[in-house]
Amino acid sequence: MNGSDTHSGKDHLFYRSMRFCGWSGVAAVTFFIIGGMILGGMLPPLLSPDDTAAEFARRVSEHVVAIRIGSVFLIFSFALFGALAAGIAAQTRRFEKAPAFSYLQLMFGACGTAVAVLVAFSWALMSFRPDEYDPTVVQVLIDFAYFLALFSVPVFSGWCLVIALPILFANEGEEPFPRWVAFFNLWAAVLYAPGLMILFFKSGIFSWSGIVALWIPFTAFFLWILVMSWGILKGAESAGG
Amino acid sequence: MTSPDTAVSSAASERTKPHVPGELGIWCFVAGDLAVFTVFFVLIALGNGDQAQVFAQSRASLELWIGVLNTLLLLSGSWLVATAVERCRESVQSGSGPDARRAALQFALAILTGVLFVANKSLEWGIKIAHGITPATNDFFMYFFVFTGIHLFHVLIGLGVLIALRRVSRRERLDSKALRTIESGATFWHLVDLLWIVLFALFYLI
Repeated sequence: MNGSDTHSGKDHLFYRSMRFCGWSGVAAVTFFIIGGMILGGMLPPLLSPDDTAAEFARRVSEHVVAIRIGSVFLIFSFALFGALAAGIAAQTRRFEKAPAFSYLQLMFGACGTAVAVLVAFSWALMSFRPDEYDPTVVQVLIDFAYFLALFSVPVFSGWCLVIALPILFANEGEEPFPRWVAFFNLWAAVLYAPGLMILFFKSGIFSWSGIVALWIPFTAFFLWILVMSWGILKGAESAGG
Repeated sequence: MTSPDTAVSSAASERTKPHVPGELGIWCFVAGDLAVFTVFFVLIALGNGDQAQVFAQSRASLELWIGVLNTLLLLSGSWLVATAVERCRESVQSGSGPDARRAALQFALAILTGVLFVANKSLEWGIKIAHGITPATNDFFMYFFVFTGIHLFHVLIGLGVLIALRRVSRRERLDSKALRTIESGATFWHLVDLLWIVLFALFYLI
């Protein structure tokens, strides 16, 4: 192992910590599937940005219990991004002489986690009292949730970029993650970009309920989590179990 | 780096194995990007099916020559990049640098074709917007502006990649790692070209 001296040889504590971080990513995806897809109505979207405010309030009231339970899963899912971010940065750090990219990853990861957690807050809040809020408030909360998740392109693309660069810059055999992971990150970084279009469209494929601006970035993001979780678990193995 | 023995055996195994340009990762990226653009192509085709008349009328108002010029620019760029890579490969094999100098020139010319593509695209969009045609006009123009915009974003990234490749090709000595970088970058540029050819056919020709 060519990593930093402190982590050469077997390090059981590091191994266990990294396994925790790796499995956190898998748990985040599982909780999102339960909270966001099966119960919460985030994906596929319960509503479309061109629905009326009254329609927003009506649909949310109809599904209020499922959305509330879904929101609980969502906040756990999104909070676990922090563990994933730490695992990626820890693995990158092992191959750095002085930390630079690992710090950048922590900055982007922490910012991304904060943004994601707010998505769950917004989702929970809209189901708190949808009948008492003015219908436009419910509409704002859903808009806000999708804007946090999709319009935050530089945060998540930037995160992918600072994961890819240290892999590509590394000498042969000293990469923190396999080189294809770098290209996967670049691919994901590009795929989040259409999220910016939700500001300009209220219906169709480029709106926050459309294929290009919603489904493609979300699919790429959750695939990315699984790939990075796998990478962290691999890193854990190389540190010695 | 490698002992003579391993160098001989790896050369022998290279002969039996077909050469894959670049590295596995860039092909991973290419496959992923192609998969997403395939979704875009299907969406355009579905739109074309749903609103055949709107699409036909809007298509007729596009300037075909601009599209053709852009296609020619990207094809020449791809040709320049391919020959530049060939020169770099020869220079790695012969172990000397003179071929790579010409490669740097060809990369520079390829960058020029890319810049002209961007200029031409801006001109096309400028003309359309001056005539009051925007993404809000109808679904055809919404798709047209957004999908060619996403492609333009790829061209801009590709220009950054070509600038990096030109810099790498100007090194004193090219090793196999530098060649891998050059081949991977060139593969991305060819992807940009390929995507444009399909978009060109879907928006201007069908």
